[in-house]
Amino acid sequence: MEKIECKKVSISTRQLLDCDNGVWRGGKHVIETAATPLANQPSPYIKGTYDENKIGAVKKIAIKSVHNGKDIAVFLEWESPTPNLKIKDINIFPDGVALLFPFKNIDKTPINEMGTQDYPTNAWYWRPDFDEKPKNQVSHGLATSLYTEKSSLVSNSKWKDGKWRVVMARPLKASRPGERTVDLAPGKSIGIGIGVWEGANGERGGVKAFSKEWRALVLEA
Amino acid sequence: MAVNKKALTDREKELAKAFEETKEMLRKCEHQVGMVMDLNKCIGCQLCSMACKTLWTSKEGREYMWWNKVNTMPGKGSPKDWEKMGGGYKVKFGGKVMEPVRGKHPTRKEFGDMWDYNYNDVFQNEAGKVHLQARNQVDGSEPDWAMNWDEDQGAGKYPNSFYFYLPRICNHCAYPACLDACPRNAIYKRDEDGVVLIDQDRCKGYRFCLEACPYKVIYFNFVTEKSMKCIFCYPRLDEKVANACARQCTARVRWVGYVDKPDSIIYKLTKVWKVALPLHSEFGTNPNVFYVPPLAPHRLTPDGKIDTSKPRIPRGYLRYLFGPEVDSALATMEKELAKVRNGGRSELMDILKAKDWHGMFGEFTKDPALMERKPPKGAKFTRPMP
Ligand code: SF4
Ligand code: SF4
Repeated sequence: MEKIECKKVSISTRQLLDCDNGVWRGGKHVIETAATPLANQPSPYIKGTYDENKIGAVKKIAIKSVHNGKDIAVFLEWESPTPNLKIKDINIFPDGVALLFPFKNIDKTPINEMGTQDYPTNAWYWRPDFDEKPKNQVSHGLATSLYTEKSSLVSNSKWKDGKWRVVMARPLKASRPGERTVDLAPGKSIGIGIGVWEGANGERGGVKAFSKEWRALVLEA
Repeated sequence: MAVNKKALTDREKELAKAFEETKEMLRKCEHQVGMVMDLNKCIGCQLCSMACKTLWTSKEGREYMWWNKVNTMPGKGSPKDWEKMGGGYKVKFGGKVMEPVRGKHPTRKEFGDMWDYNYNDVFQNEAGKVHLQARNQVDGSEPDWAMNWDEDQGAGKYPNSFYFYLPRICNHCAYPACLDACPRNAIYKRDEDGVVLIDQDRCKGYRFCLEACPYKVIYFNFVTEKSMKCIFCYPRLDEKVANACARQCTARVRWVGYVDKPDSIIYKLTKVWKVALPLHSEFGTNPNVFYVPPLAPHRLTPDGKIDTSKPRIPRGYLRYLFGPEVDSALATMEKELAKVRNGGRSELMDILKAKDWHGMFGEFTKDPALMERKPPKGAKFTRPMP
């Protein structure tokens, strides 16, 4: 499985949350993304009327991650010609990005179904209209994802020159009552996937681009 | 149902089957309530709209919504030109295949946005300098559409011009396109009465339902970021109280009852007398709101004489709205009307006159003042998680 290294650094979380911080320069991993297949859309309407070739406007996304022993930060960068910041009208959709993690055995957790009843997934979901407070979400398969009541995630984002740059950060260990989430630890590795929504293309819900396979996020000890 | 353009893997087939089964379950109900509205009697007073607004849509992001609206026909309605926005199904092979049709999102301005007025400017300026102006909340533009913007415009030439009112709510369809569209299984039909509801806890505001509903009766709540629509006053039905729009109606236009119980007036008007028809049945969703089509007064010749050579409302237009069945519905009504005019009796005309007001509401005759106002019941079943 393709590996994404999460190096240990001694930089404060506040600094890591700066998209312009030097730590995010270079060494990024580029992941190709593709449309979520129509077969995986839990809606006869979407299946019957959407064109798979027109879904998934974002074709690739760059990722880099580091941790400072206490918090983990993930930097994401992708092309988006115009920023879609909020739901200004009924026909307008915001851009977005999400990281997906399996709670349990990666081999039994289908990424394109966002897990199953027995093998759920955790998503960290960023949107420009979330006020830099990404949502923590648990999913037991398609059509089942729900936000948890609490979320430890914070973010910082910038859209410039046709590109989104987003940093999401969180304590390595964050699960608590009201926040069911994956706990990470230095020296350990976990599966990771990415979903990305281009608002200008009407993308929301399952109509998005995603990394078709799990990668391994390896946290340096 | 879905058109599969490429070969599916076994797992994908299994999933598709599971989704279809889930949808089937969400679509099922034991009984079905419905409504009949008599377009011969509606006077366009919007009391129904106001009853609904007062009860359900006065706050928390619902201010711009009209779960009940009354449009003037022929007209563009609300949202503006909704009949051309797509959605629903293409029904093929006598209903064996229902192919979903791609729909378009209405915009806030097409529905008619909330307005702000420049009261402060008017107040703080010299008299006559600034005049009172309305502005759309979404972008500060001057309003150019609203719920019944083309009020009483109608069509035709004097003295044979015509218009009639068309009150609209969610049709609580037997085959709801909105339900099929929702990838979150947030939309379902209530088991006991088939009322179509959007579970506000499951809705994530993706708005596929707004695309798919061919009647464009779903709104988007910009405060909660969820989709909302007419709930057929289900908390009232639970206490045997009829819908607010129906009780409040000035002109005794609306009957409420079970579509599938032979002793109900809804059944009598739709299945026995066959004078109440769904709107745009070609959209394929099988509505449970039905309309008694308007007969309209006779035409006049240029010298003011009654002209019976053709109807005032072009039949083609009524067929467009209510299908070819409108011909026999109108013929039946004319026949029964003639009976009464000749001194006879007609069960149909007695129903349509609605002398007995309570009789219009089937088993939902309780006075709302006597309601216990218990917290509304939620879904009776829990929706399955794959
Ligand atoms: S009228 Fe539209 S919203 Fe109402 S049940 Fe039918 S398809 Fe759904
Ligand atoms: S209250 Fe009755 S008469 Fe008035 S607009 Fe509504 S349906 Fe028509």
